[in-house]
Amino acid sequence: MTMAYSLRPLWITCSLGCLVVAVGCGTTPAASFRPNMVEATKQRLTPAQEKQVATVLLAMFGTPDDPVALPETGLDEAKLRLAAGPVRSDIVGRKNGLYREHCAHCHGITGDGLGPTAAFLNPYPRDYRPGVFKFKSTERADKPTHADLVRILHNGIAGTSMPSFALLPEAQVEALAEYVKYLSIRGETELSLMRAFFELDDDAQGKLPETREFLVDETLSPIAEKWQAAADARIPVPEMPADIDLVASIAKGKELFYGDKANCVKCHGVTGLGDGQANDYDDWNKAIVEIDKEVKSTAAKAKETSTVSMSADEAAEHRSQLAWLEKFDAVLAGDALTPRTIPPRNLRHGIYRGGRRPLDLYYRIHAGINGAPMPAAKGTISPEDIWHIVNYVRSLPYELDGELGADRPMVARDRF
Amino acid sequence: MQACSTSSCSPIQAFTACLVALITVASGCSADRVTPPTADAEGAKQLRVTLASAPGAAGAGEAAASTGTGWGTLKGRFVFAGTPGAPKPLVADKDTEVCSKAGMKLLDRSLLVDPSSKGLANVVVFARKASRVKNAVPEIPVVFDQKQCEFLSPVFAARVGQPVDVRNSDPIGHNTNIAGTAFNQLIPAGQGTIYKPESETGMPTMVTCNIHPWMKAYAVFRKDGYVAVTAADGSFSIADLPAGETIELQVWHERSTGPNGALVLDKPDLKWTPKGRFQIKLESDETKDLGTLEVPASAIGT
Amino acid sequence: MGSRFSGIFWSLLFLAVPVLGVATFAIAPAIDVWLPKDISEHGKAIDGLFYFILGLTGIVFIATEVVLFWFLWKYDAARDNGPAKYIHGSHTLEVVWTIIPAATLLFLAIYQMNTWADVKMRRPAMAPTVEVVARQFEWRLRYPGRDGTLGTADDLFLVNDMHVPVDEDILVQLKSMDVLHSFFIPNLRIKQDAVPGMKIPVWFKATENGQFDIVCAELCGWGHYKMKGRVTVESREDFDRWLESQYAKQEATQPEPDPADAVAQN
Repeated sequence: MTMAYSLRPLWITCSLGCLVVAVGCGTTPAASFRPNMVEATKQRLTPAQEKQVATVLLAMFGTPDDPVALPETGLDEAKLRLAAGPVRSDIVGRKNGLYREHCAHCHGITGDGLGPTAAFLNPYPRDYRPGVFKFKSTERADKPTHADLVRILHNGIAGTSMPSFALLPEAQVEALAEYVKYLSIRGETELSLMRAFFELDDDAQGKLPETREFLVDETLSPIAEKWQAAADARIPVPEMPADIDLVASIAKGKELFYGDKANCVKCHGVTGLGDGQANDYDDWNKAIVEIDKEVKSTAAKAKETSTVSMSADEAAEHRSQLAWLEKFDAVLAGDALTPRTIPPRNLRHGIYRGGRRPLDLYYRIHAGINGAPMPAAKGTISPEDIWHIVNYVRSLPYELDGELGADRPMVARDRF
Repeated sequence: MQACSTSSCSPIQAFTACLVALITVASGCSADRVTPPTADAEGAKQLRVTLASAPGAAGAGEAAASTGTGWGTLKGRFVFAGTPGAPKPLVADKDTEVCSKAGMKLLDRSLLVDPSSKGLANVVVFARKASRVKNAVPEIPVVFDQKQCEFLSPVFAARVGQPVDVRNSDPIGHNTNIAGTAFNQLIPAGQGTIYKPESETGMPTMVTCNIHPWMKAYAVFRKDGYVAVTAADGSFSIADLPAGETIELQVWHERSTGPNGALVLDKPDLKWTPKGRFQIKLESDETKDLGTLEVPASAIGT
Repeated sequence: MGSRFSGIFWSLLFLAVPVLGVATFAIAPAIDVWLPKDISEHGKAIDGLFYFILGLTGIVFIATEVVLFWFLWKYDAARDNGPAKYIHGSHTLEVVWTIIPAATLLFLAIYQMNTWADVKMRRPAMAPTVEVVARQFEWRLRYPGRDGTLGTADDLFLVNDMHVPVDEDILVQLKSMDVLHSFFIPNLRIKQDAVPGMKIPVWFKATENGQFDIVCAELCGWGHYKMKGRVTVESREDFDRWLESQYAKQEATQPEPDPADAVAQN
């Protein structure tokens, strides 16, 4: 039986199909933590030094599939195991791999805020590694309490891409909060180790001492202790008087809002729309901006330095500096997100990232927001006055005859 | 597309097939991130054993403090060998009735070179470790003021535990934010607040105002207080340093191209390291004058 | 390979389609792969329509497939040596098999109009019980609060956790904050696209207590698959109590007791 058609199209289709499949195939390597490349390059670590940091961190903290928590960290390893590793069910049918399922695509496997979806989000997802968290019930420079982290997981962060995980079972939320602490402690330890190379004496030959004393007592413990002490750093909140005259309080709050003790309008604007200024950065973005500036200025300097009159040593040093600058460019392209300014909050929306309870607003005003330009009113403004400002701020979305008046042009975001 | 006959396909069909294949492959490729070195698994295993062991007797510990009595003074003068260029004006676009009063422009102060003596101002020199300290922590506060939307001290130093009088002499409010510390506080017009640093900074840390983001200064806090900031003519002096021991001093400048701002000079007689450190040893009651320390143009970035 | 075997094989293969099709539908309810539990008032009408159409199309399907099998079997070239018969079309046949399906569809269209109107057009005259704003990737809820009016200072703001009283008419005001989403509660048989810029009313009456899923039924981005909420149907007293407790939490001026403190003290 002869066939009335040629087989050539079939061959072409099959080979193209094989090619398409081949491009997608390959064994997936086991997930691994990515080192803090920006800091490593900023500190001009050699590959041997980077390797030492990676080895030390592997020993102290394990891998994304197999976490290790030294007793000094105060972390519950059972909870970490629930959150770590690939998504699967364990022998009793409990769900494991929670972090990878719910968090890693934004916050990254390493908790560095560089997950695959991070670049598309505004604001960027949190980078846990500096150990700075914005919305908490503790004083400005202190760590959040465990309850603070659980609250963020429950409520999400309104106005950002951080969703609410209120529908997850409590045990899973607890495991995730613990794992976030683990990633933060690991990240801060990594920063501390990388910065420690600069502090080494010259006779250390650029190697950190791998002793329990240095690694645990001097590096890890100070970080972990701050987490354990968070509960003691909670802001004491005086009661708002039950019989408070709300109208008078709002009027007083408005006076303070526009006054020059609190200076709220300087950033949040006389309109309350957050248009008072637009060119400051939060700490995470500022770090990249500063490094970028430094690299550019060093690069400009290196380029204009003529190598003609250099000795062999100087020329070699010049070349290594150029190589360092090139590496830094690659690192900033691949391991850092484009810096964005942080606009002051639009208070007319009624959307508060840290929570909308009067209590939450009290925390934000009293301690400011750690990592963000919002300053602390503590010490400058009395607690009663802070309550007045809180009451005024809460009335802003519903204010009809405020500074704006009815003739203010409606902007798109006002509709929500 | 017609099915090919028993002879070979036309060039167009072959080209299309190649192009499709190329696009398919290319779509799988993407720019690679920098590849970091992998950890040493064996070494990590051994290290874990070390870390799990009970904290035994502390390791070699610090070298026994060098014996010595008496105190000495260190002096010197930094000069800049390059040409500084005109300082750039800052963008001061808020509270203009105070910050750009009468058209006055605020200038960038990151590289201040005295025109006549070529002295380099705002270089920080501090001792990395000192075995003993002569004076107790002073109670006199260090004044850190701001006026006309500018911090009056571009770089200031204080001792850990020494009060810093953070003042605001402007008719408008500011907030002073000392990076790396708990201090980020509103300072109303004409008022001030006392801040006591609780820990050392290491290299100097940035001080900013979030209401006026162009405002910048640097602060350095040291436990032993052996720190100096060069004056306008580039001169500095650290008094009451412990004599009879080798002291390593760190040098820093805001615009330095060295690591973490360390200022690297070519001075092998002082054992100047690529990390911006040099060593001295003082005799009791000696005043060591390092003379003119020349900072090459390559050490300062643009 | 005999073509006789081939003919039998292909005929039987095509017979397997209606057989397996019917078998799947027959065992589906037993293995819980069927319609979700219906707890809404208009659900009966909607499910009834579903079964009616299923039955109607099912009969036609089985009949067509059986006829197909029969022709494959009977006129298999290996066994049927008779000459092929040629026809030049049959006008009658064309008319018949156009008119009958058209009439059926017309009947269905008219038959379902009332149910559609009940679900999508006859909005109950009442203030909204809750405003649902769809957002990537969550459901933001806003209850009117004590004064009963949405958009005032005493509104209750929640995320993903919707409560409604049982056996009462519920009106949801549906909006979207960013892109197209679709508010879908399978157990209540309601699904409505949330269109940015539009305020769309959705209403239902739940007839049973319990907790049910809210899912997103319009691809809205990478998190579409996990855009899940939960609706809790409870008695009016429980609902009021829950509303009060949530409102008290929202107006909190003091921190909640930290469980860690209790542990530390014990």
